[in-house]
Amino acid sequence: MRQLFLIAFRNLIQHRRRTLMLGGAIAGVTALLVVLLCLSAGVKATMLESATTVVTGHINVAGFYKVTAGQTAPLVTDYKKVQALVERTLPDLDFVAARGRGFARLVSDQGNMQVGIASIDLAHEPKLPKVLRMREGSLDALAKPGSVLLFESQAKKLKVKTGDSLIFSVLTPRGVNNTVDVRVAGVAEDMGLLSSFSVFVPDATLRQLYQMNESTTGALLVYLKDMRRIPQDMDLLRKALSQAGYTVRDRQGKAFWMKLADINREDWTGQQLDLTSWEDEISFISWTVKAIDGITWVLTTVLLVIIAIGIMNTLWIAIRERTREIGTLRAIGMQRPMVLSMFVIEAFCLGLAGTSLGALLGTLAAAFLNSLHLAVPTGAAIFLMSSTLKFAFDPARILGGAAVITACTTLIALIPSFKAARMKPVTAMSHLG
Amino acid sequence: MMKRLMALALLAALAALAQAEPLSKAQMVEILKGIDIRVRASGDYKALVYLEQREKDKPDVAREALVYRRDADQKLMILFTQPKTEAGKGYLRIDKNLWYYDPTVGKWERRTDRERIAGTDSRREDFDQSDLANQYDPAYLGEEKLGAYSVWHLKLTVKDGVDVAYPLVEFWIDEATGNDLKRQDFALSGRLARTSLVPKWERLYSASKKADLWYRKEIHIYDEIDKANSTLVVIKSVDLDPLDENMFTKAWLEAKSR
Repeated sequence: MRQLFLIAFRNLIQHRRRTLMLGGAIAGVTALLVVLLCLSAGVKATMLESATTVVTGHINVAGFYKVTAGQTAPLVTDYKKVQALVERTLPDLDFVAARGRGFARLVSDQGNMQVGIASIDLAHEPKLPKVLRMREGSLDALAKPGSVLLFESQAKKLKVKTGDSLIFSVLTPRGVNNTVDVRVAGVAEDMGLLSSFSVFVPDATLRQLYQMNESTTGALLVYLKDMRRIPQDMDLLRKALSQAGYTVRDRQGKAFWMKLADINREDWTGQQLDLTSWEDEISFISWTVKAIDGITWVLTTVLLVIIAIGIMNTLWIAIRERTREIGTLRAIGMQRPMVLSMFVIEAFCLGLAGTSLGALLGTLAAAFLNSLHLAVPTGAAIFLMSSTLKFAFDPARILGGAAVITACTTLIALIPSFKAARMKPVTAMSHLG
Repeated sequence: MMKRLMALALLAALAALAQAEPLSKAQMVEILKGIDIRVRASGDYKALVYLEQREKDKPDVAREALVYRRDADQKLMILFTQPKTEAGKGYLRIDKNLWYYDPTVGKWERRTDRERIAGTDSRREDFDQSDLANQYDPAYLGEEKLGAYSVWHLKLTVKDGVDVAYPLVEFWIDEATGNDLKRQDFALSGRLARTSLVPKWERLYSASKKADLWYRKEIHIYDEIDKANSTLVVIKSVDLDPLDENMFTKAWLEAKSR
């Protein structure tokens, strides 16, 4: 086997020009794949960070409360009991944050917009200060009732800055119009689509707006130490909540606000709980990651097919050039499987060298592009969840991509290699080409 | 019914004589009952309504709708006919629920009957019969001049256990006719939310009621929170002929929407 590798290596060195061209092409495709994989991982990481900061926990224990059959509010009543049950049930819980949820018209002197409101208690939100990047004002000022934290694009649309006044206007769960005057506590850097329609207010402000009592919240955002446990933990919670007598809705894989119209049509009143994962809550935007992944694999497949044809052609030529050599080797006793292995190993070595170089170049290119903080157009920023292009490194995916390309280049070499292995020694030795 | 209206007219005359004398609670309740009675159609009611919505930085949107009512059974249906993009959309009240139908998605959505109609500043109650006397407790704020009209200024606070869109309302009621000419709705927080002006009332004889039915011919609604927004409601025509017996159903509205 060692000798086969030696022959393959010497052949590759001997045909330096051909090796460089083919190896270069494999390296190029691998580098492109790695850059796109890093982009996809970057978008996913940003999406996760943005989603689990702005709208969702790793798991959400939310609920719907209906005063009458036609009026649904995203509320969990007597939430401290539910929170205690969550804390008892989950073994790897990091922390739980209770957040109020609502929708309101936010009006300034210069404009208005519909927003989703999340109420926060900063004392129980250890992650938020680490993730939110303030453009102006301060996050701490949000502790004061009657304040609001906006994101850049919202402040721009409403033409307000820190200290300006705004009015929230809502229909309470009982259908009564209510308003609350608030002051802008600060403006945070945009975090993609989610931050374009979400604002933060102190708990007391949301309670005042919706006339909610202290025992009611919108959802319990559950953060785990290990995100891989989300499916198991959701099952655990479902069982525990059902056993405790709560009505838990079937999982729909949708954000809570997408369910409101359907729930309004249902004829029940009272409380139902709803368990969702972070992916459910951003299901309406997660297509962006799938789209990037799709484009990556389509592009890579097309390039891979071109390279495969190139490799096959090159091996055909190599076999033709080395027909007499094959005949001699067969005549001195080399078996067919060894001839087959000789060419396959050559293709494997070429593929491995090309993909290794490509993966290295791709990683360096992604790191370089990441350091440039390239700005993306506003429209794209909404879906990429960031105003700059972000690349993240997922070694498993990079190695996986490189392995797939190496495997493809090796497998495609089987066809001409079979032909070489099938040659009769006499025919091969008398070959004149 | 006629006796009640005559009593109200007498009350109005007495009050005009008394001028600065504050109205008693009983008198104010009678005035509110008067408004409720005169806008209530005891039989069927059909009105062609023009709605014009103005919003800042957006083009004006004009709509036409048919409003059907059967007040004795608390039935109400609003069917949009214009523009083409809105035609076929409609609201239907069944018991205490207001349902909204959009033919483009072919689904019914249950809505609160206190929300905005078609995203305008108007509410269901702007098109429906009123129940002011039962829903609110009145308080007298004084006698004022509203343009050329002498008006009573009343403050109405919602009664306990009653669900209304605005828990606090101020009315300016024409002393001569008993019709409200101006209304201000306040949110739960006490902030003024909208002002409605009614420059024109009209009436027509209702055979089933055996008295005149009054309706607000024009309502100018101003959004006091988002001050650039306003809505004009004009009732172009009213028809009191009997309607189809079974028309207040989802199937009827869906059929009309096709």
